[in-house]
Amino acid sequence: MKTASRILGRAFFAEGFEVQDAPRYGAERRGAPIFAYVRAAREAINERGIITTPDLVVVADDTLPAIPAAGTLAGVDDRTVLLIISREPADTWRSRLNLSCSVVVIREDVESPVSEEMPFKGAVCAGGAAHLVGVIPRPTLAQAIERELDSMPAAMIEANLEHGLAAFDQLADHAGAVQQGVGVSADNPRPPQWVDLPLQPAGAAAPVIQAAATSVEVHTGLWRSVRPVIDDERCVGCWWVCSTFCPDGAIEVRDGRPHIDYEHCKGCMVCVAKCPPHAIDTIPEHAAQQADREDHHRDA
Amino acid sequence: MKESMYKRMKDLPSAHLLGTGTPMCAGCGGLEALHEIYDVLGSRTVFVNAAGCMTLLATYPFTPFRGSWLYTAMASAPAGAQGIRDALDILLQRRSITKEEDLDVVVLTGDGAAYGMGLSATSGAIERGLDFLYICYDNEGYGNTGQQYSGATPHGARTATSRGPSGFAGFKKDLFSIWAAHKPTYVATVIGAEPLDLARKVEKAKQLDGPRLIIALAPCPTGWDYEPRHTADIGKLAVQTGIWPLKEYVDGTVTHTRMPRPRRPVAEYLKMQGRFAHLFLDQRGKHMLAEIQARIDRYWDTVEA
Ligand SMILES: Cc1ncc(C[n+]2csc(CCOP(=O)(O)OP(=O)(O)O)c2C)c(N)n1
Ligand code: SF4
Ligand SMILES: [Mg+2]
Repeated sequence: MKTASRILGRAFFAEGFEVQDAPRYGAERRGAPIFAYVRAAREAINERGIITTPDLVVVADDTLPAIPAAGTLAGVDDRTVLLIISREPADTWRSRLNLSCSVVVIREDVESPVSEEMPFKGAVCAGGAAHLVGVIPRPTLAQAIERELDSMPAAMIEANLEHGLAAFDQLADHAGAVQQGVGVSADNPRPPQWVDLPLQPAGAAAPVIQAAATSVEVHTGLWRSVRPVIDDERCVGCWWVCSTFCPDGAIEVRDGRPHIDYEHCKGCMVCVAKCPPHAIDTIPEHAAQQADREDHHRDA
Repeated sequence: MKESMYKRMKDLPSAHLLGTGTPMCAGCGGLEALHEIYDVLGSRTVFVNAAGCMTLLATYPFTPFRGSWLYTAMASAPAGAQGIRDALDILLQRRSITKEEDLDVVVLTGDGAAYGMGLSATSGAIERGLDFLYICYDNEGYGNTGQQYSGATPHGARTATSRGPSGFAGFKKDLFSIWAAHKPTYVATVIGAEPLDLARKVEKAKQLDGPRLIIALAPCPTGWDYEPRHTADIGKLAVQTGIWPLKEYVDGTVTHTRMPRPRRPVAEYLKMQGRFAHLFLDQRGKHMLAEIQARIDRYWDTVEA
């Protein structure tokens, strides 16, 4: 996301805009959401820091809207445009997220090289966003991608260009969909929305967790991009290997057989590496989900 | 001391106590060790944590633990443990709780706290004979803030603050010996990739009173730069190459619980990790590799002598 924001920021700047682009770091850990903000205007920008009322929200990973901590919908209102890279169509997202604003999807496309592959996501997000804001011509976007990725090998820059421009082209019908919001004036700042908190006894007010192991309510299985699948025929039942080495303790033992808890398996594949008879297969998560859906249909 | 109930891998717990759904990275070697440790320690424990990756384990309203958890400043976990132990002792004295209801006080910190910022508070707690177990998951850097170097970073490793061509110029502190010099009840090194050795040591520590330390080397895909699936293989290599000796200190004696024989070349362990990639590029790297190998050989020469 940081790369996307920098490419977009560069492109705006090249078009003569005042620009701010800034990443926001939380915990620097795999699986932790990353945010980046871009502000652009023809006039001086007085605002600083986090954008509370975005004109455009770009979501690079479509598992994030389901995660409250990611806050992808924070500040979204009717005039916001939500751009999301996903295999699901815009209507699905509008109804799933109960949104009345416009939703635009960048889809993996057989015709063009837009893909959800990690190394290109920055360019794809920036390419899509550049067309949506409507003030960045295609050559300016290309130049911004090249300059931003300057230190990378030529082939990598080329591939990013291809993906970024393909995303730009894919959104031709939505050119200029994003409306510029009204800047905040320093003269009459909006007062903060104070919330009155009555003084309560510590038992009620303190963040005390009363139940055991509540973390199971967090479905970290959403992190997975590959799925380990145990082949029951090859599995010899040495559960103490996979179930002990699984960092998350997400392999349960029932009747002497290991069972992977897909609600929580993060897809680290340590079990695949350790299984003595190599009985655990690696399946791309989207293919596994597709197969699940087909099974479900057949059963229904 | 009772005979260990963990004789074979088969004897390891098949039900896991630590809740799933934690925010640790996929493939976190620290979490691998912690869930193995927790299965043996049990839920009658109070955890006292200092700032680090594992602080995020218990983030309101979610916790993977079945008992209590207290968060302290990075340098102060053993002081927090003292307060909890004292409170429990007072409750026992007043007969507000029974001996069966008493809890084990467990400090859980990263290496940044254990090898560095928290050493003073730790030293004081051992000096006072505090009855507690200290678990350090050692990912050899400040993982939570992007892997800056710590007192546990090994020589030559690249970190966010050691980006030069030779990596980290300092040497990993010997925390095991620093603790042992205080003459505590128990000190041990473990690793998640050797779960049987780990279970026996945790079982032993649990039966003892007084200051006890368990240091778990924690392969960290994010900070060490490798694919998460290699966590347990890298852990095994750490033991087989002799760079992470498995040992324990009891009653003034140090015993090695695994003798890696024959020892595999340390290069096998280092080359699996991006943080050591520069050691495999040129003449300077070759020289550093030889130096690292020689240091390991010297260590084992004294052990085996
Ligand atoms: C006194 C203090 N200094 C700095 C920090 C910022 N900080 C939070 S976590 C962390 C890294 C801790 O490293 P370590 O103990 O090795 O745990 P890890 O993150 O590797 O799990 C730092 C420096 C802090 N919380 N408190
Ligand atoms: S940064 Fe390393 S130690 Fe921290 S949660 Fe991730 S893998 Fe574990
Ligand atoms: Mg650390």
